[in-house]
Amino acid sequence: MMLIRTFAIAVLTVREAVRSKFLLSLASLLVAGLVGLPLLIAGDNTLAGQIQVILTYTLTFATAILSITTLGTACGGVSAEIEDRRLYLVMTKPLHRTELWLGKWLGVLALNAALLALTGLIISAMTRQAIHSAKDSPQVKRQVTEQFLMARQALPPITPDYSRIAAEAAQRLIQSGRAPAKMTFDAIQQRLIEELKIQRFTIHPGGSVEFSFQQPDAKNNGNDLILSYKFDSTRPERSPVAARWTLGTDHAHLIHIAVTNYPGVPATLAIASSMSTGTNILSVTYQRLDDRSQATIIMADKTQEPELLVPYGGFEMNLLRGLFVILCRLAFLAALGLTFGCLLSTPVAVFAAFFVLILMASAGYIESVATSGVFFVPHEGHAEELTRLDKMILHLFQGFHLVTMPLTRFDPVPLLAAGRVVSGEMALLAFGWLAGLYTVIAALIGITLFNRRELG
Amino acid sequence: MGANNGLVIEARNLTKVFRDFWRRPKVCAVKGINLEIKRGEIFGLLGPNGSGKSTTIKMILGLLYPTSGDLTVLGKSPRDVAAKAKIGFMPEESYLYKYLTAVEILNFYANLYGLSGIAKKEIVERLITQVGLTAARNRPIGEFSKGMARRVGLAQCLLNDPDLILLDEPTSGLDPIACREVKDLLLSLARRGKTILICSHHLADMQDICDRVAILLNGEICTQGAVKDLLINPDTLRLSLQSPPRESLSAILNYIEQETGQRPLVDHAGRTLESVFIETVTRRPSPL
Repeated sequence: MMLIRTFAIAVLTVREAVRSKFLLSLASLLVAGLVGLPLLIAGDNTLAGQIQVILTYTLTFATAILSITTLGTACGGVSAEIEDRRLYLVMTKPLHRTELWLGKWLGVLALNAALLALTGLIISAMTRQAIHSAKDSPQVKRQVTEQFLMARQALPPITPDYSRIAAEAAQRLIQSGRAPAKMTFDAIQQRLIEELKIQRFTIHPGGSVEFSFQQPDAKNNGNDLILSYKFDSTRPERSPVAARWTLGTDHAHLIHIAVTNYPGVPATLAIASSMSTGTNILSVTYQRLDDRSQATIIMADKTQEPELLVPYGGFEMNLLRGLFVILCRLAFLAALGLTFGCLLSTPVAVFAAFFVLILMASAGYIESVATSGVFFVPHEGHAEELTRLDKMILHLFQGFHLVTMPLTRFDPVPLLAAGRVVSGEMALLAFGWLAGLYTVIAALIGITLFNRRELG
Repeated sequence: MGANNGLVIEARNLTKVFRDFWRRPKVCAVKGINLEIKRGEIFGLLGPNGSGKSTTIKMILGLLYPTSGDLTVLGKSPRDVAAKAKIGFMPEESYLYKYLTAVEILNFYANLYGLSGIAKKEIVERLITQVGLTAARNRPIGEFSKGMARRVGLAQCLLNDPDLILLDEPTSGLDPIACREVKDLLLSLARRGKTILICSHHLADMQDICDRVAILLNGEICTQGAVKDLLINPDTLRLSLQSPPRESLSAILNYIEQETGQRPLVDHAGRTLESVFIETVTRRPSPL
């Protein structure tokens, strides 16, 4: 009985969206945006740039449009029906308010699923068509296909046991009496770990650094491996750096590849699949050839070490997982919208939804404030003690962060645009957090308060 | 049935106070009313605008919650879903989804009553025919006239074969024939043991079909009782007879005057405009 009633509300929501031409209008807007945006935005005149534009802008556009319409539809779905009194008649039937809430939520979700399926089809077709119709050489097309139309898992390099090395060094410092006064063992060890990392990634003119990667057990079907890296220079002029990569395996299979890269610009190096056949460890050495330069480069910062991108699966399946994660985000937004709609009048509910959209757009800043406690970096002078007002605002940001955290944590767009894998684990976690926990919390609040609301 | 002592609706000191945003009392819409409606009764709730009729109906439907007092519907709380399963409600305005067709909207409400399969199909088809919407069954509600929408409203109200039927202005927007049909339908439902609560301004209609009425004013019940008792004037008697010859009539009147000391008033028995309209319209063939 409960299922019949819930399903009836869900079908009504979808049917109304179809009959009122809302779905058609939204689908038309999506198609126009998905097809038109890549034509309007110029890339860097390379095929790779064009594909990156298609993936980044279309996915961002679809996510933004669907987020806005989901919040709007969910808000209006209940509040407008209360205001034009259609819900009065519905609520005189033997229908629990939980069933109404759930039915509306499922209806909004079904609409989003249909629109996301359309988005996926268009993006997939556009990407493949762009590569197919490009006038570039087959080799370039193959490289771009390898880079974007292959979901890749990023493997970090094997790192030395910094903790053990630092602990031993700290012990020696303390025993020799050369340790700084007032510093605890842990503080010394932490400082040494930082220094070891900087030491490892710093390359002086003519110097080199070696990274080793443990290869995955999965069989590679002839696809290239890709080494992704970025470095920064100590010199402000940012002149290009000439270097040579030397690739080797545990069977001492050596290949030299000369490269010239600019500091601060992400770079990739294709590694033929034959290099990874029958081997466990892949070693890569970056040797600087510009020994007359005065600049020192740092191969990685704290967050971005070189990564080996290994094939994980096909593009379409990866896109499907990514769209599923977006659907989970929309499930949460639909729950929020419904909760607003159940409690507030339409204008106030729309205002609240608009506020959530602003929070979403500022999610990065909110996260930075909530985690670092810094609102902005002053241009000059010293940071002052936090006032009581500052502390209150900080708590407010931490509260906002609780809402926006899962939205920023489960964002598949940068991964899909970079050809990185949206793992099944990420999809599962997004489902658990967004469509599960957060949606349930929003639902519990919404349904509890809706049950107390009079419809008079 | 689940009702207490044959009472389908029982209200004791029922009060509803509307409050403002700060929870301060704003309006006392219903002030401690007592109401007992028995099974099989047609009960009319009368009163001017703002007298508390709609608020009372909404409390009985579980849309508004009483501020104080007790209210049971079919022996249960009005918010109980089990009670709602036995209630049919036809609102004054047709609060229907205008993008749905008549059949779709009835199927939707039937689903909310948990009906499915052949049973649902049969009920929907029967009601569509009963309310005279067979030809318009697949047209969106948005294209319906007010009267047609009212018919859909009536059909949805009867989907669950309810024990208690609440009707807000049931004949509003209907032509006289449809109005008569609705009244006949309500009388037949009452004969089948259904309890009917009607809220209306059409006093003639209420007089036609209600067994008992209550008149509300400023949230209080001023008068309550059986219609025939309320309408009787015990000091006046009416004699009806087939028009006699003039001489006989004069003799009768003289006799009454001699016996009672009052000269009786004589006029022709009147017909209602409704009966004249129905007779005229039903005699002529429909152009459709």
